[in-house]
Amino acid sequence: MALFDVVRSLGRAGLFSLSVFRASKPTADFFRELIREIYKIGARSLPIIAVGGAFVGLSVTLLGYRALDTYGAANQVSAMLGLGLYRELGPVLTALLFIGRAGSSIAAELGLMRATDQITALGLMAIDPVGKAVAPRFWAAVLCVPLLTGFFCSLAISASYFESVHVIGLEPGIFWQVLKDSVDFFDDFLMAFVKSAVFGGTAALVAAYVGYHAEPTIEGTSVATTQAVVNASLLVLMFNFVMSAFLFK
Amino acid sequence: MSVRSPRIEFAVGAFLLLALASLLVLAIASTNGKFGFGRDNYEVTAKFTSIGALRPNAPVKIGGVNVGQVADISLDPKSYASVVTLSIDKRYNKLSADTSAGIFTSGLLGESYIGLTPGGDPEDLKPGDEIYLTQPAIDLIQLVGKYMFSGGGAQGGGNGTGAEPAKPADAGTPDYLKGEQPAPSSESKP
Repeated sequence: MALFDVVRSLGRAGLFSLSVFRASKPTADFFRELIREIYKIGARSLPIIAVGGAFVGLSVTLLGYRALDTYGAANQVSAMLGLGLYRELGPVLTALLFIGRAGSSIAAELGLMRATDQITALGLMAIDPVGKAVAPRFWAAVLCVPLLTGFFCSLAISASYFESVHVIGLEPGIFWQVLKDSVDFFDDFLMAFVKSAVFGGTAALVAAYVGYHAEPTIEGTSVATTQAVVNASLLVLMFNFVMSAFLFK
Repeated sequence: MSVRSPRIEFAVGAFLLLALASLLVLAIASTNGKFGFGRDNYEVTAKFTSIGALRPNAPVKIGGVNVGQVADISLDPKSYASVVTLSIDKRYNKLSADTSAGIFTSGLLGESYIGLTPGGDPEDLKPGDEIYLTQPAIDLIQLVGKYMFSGGGAQGGGNGTGAEPAKPADAGTPDYLKGEQPAPSSESKP
């Protein structure tokens, strides 16, 4: 029976995703909701992403410097940072931070809408609850996560620059030149944003699905929130491996 | 669902602007900047007997300055020579026809690159031409092996230290074997 349940919930998630795409019609109301969601899950995630990025940059630089200096290749620290950041760390960590900050709130909001019968009420007023409540959140996440990844990477590189040049004492020119030489625009930079758009969509869909189908109780909402964070994080890590294996030569 | 307040709109606008600006700066400052679609390049080929650790996208340099990159590496099905396609910036389209190409390594552990040395031919290299003067990659390990094993055996009790003892060993070998298989001579000693 367990297998049957797993397959059934997978199918339900697939149909739910399909209904989100079908409900995404570019009306004025949709854009109004979209702007609110961009503000709520994008703009307000900025501080946590910025702080996260800066500290990741600092620690990767510190580690990279210690390892590379053994071989007299301390100059290459920015190459290591750039490739690691664009290929793996940037998209994945941004997505994980985003799930913690915004995914949980999406699940909680929708769970509470379910618990307080707002979703049923929308249906009774002949307003598609998926189009009204889920689609704007999904598209806001698809749009915001790549942008937040950009912030994450720029903060990480800035912090790394500060540490390499002002603390460790590398040449600033070499730092930038090595970074530029090693990071390819299409293979690394663009792929980072393709990846993070997929991660954003995944995170929002999982959170919305779990919240939308939550038990209509207080406890159900709290379970949904936890589930959204756990499932979305694991899915993002899995997708990351699959996409890395296929995208990067 | 009341508001579309000016404050939120402003915040979203500022967020989007800031994000796009930061992406633009990142793209310019931290990548190799190959986003000029269809940038003006022309391609020439060069055949090498060995390319060592050369990879696609390796830089092509003249006098240390980047002028292009390796676009493709393939094997000639007849001669089994490696055919390397070089994509060179259009700005440098006045390379003489007798330009030579060599595969070098930057530093001891660094990446391989192709170094071009322009010659003196009044004719220019045209797109699709082949560079005939080529110098294959130097295999460091093979070089060390030659250095270590060429001397000792041939000289018969020589101290095996250097280039000099190699000459007598070559005396009896045909031309096409010279310098190829120095190792067996040391084993043939009683």
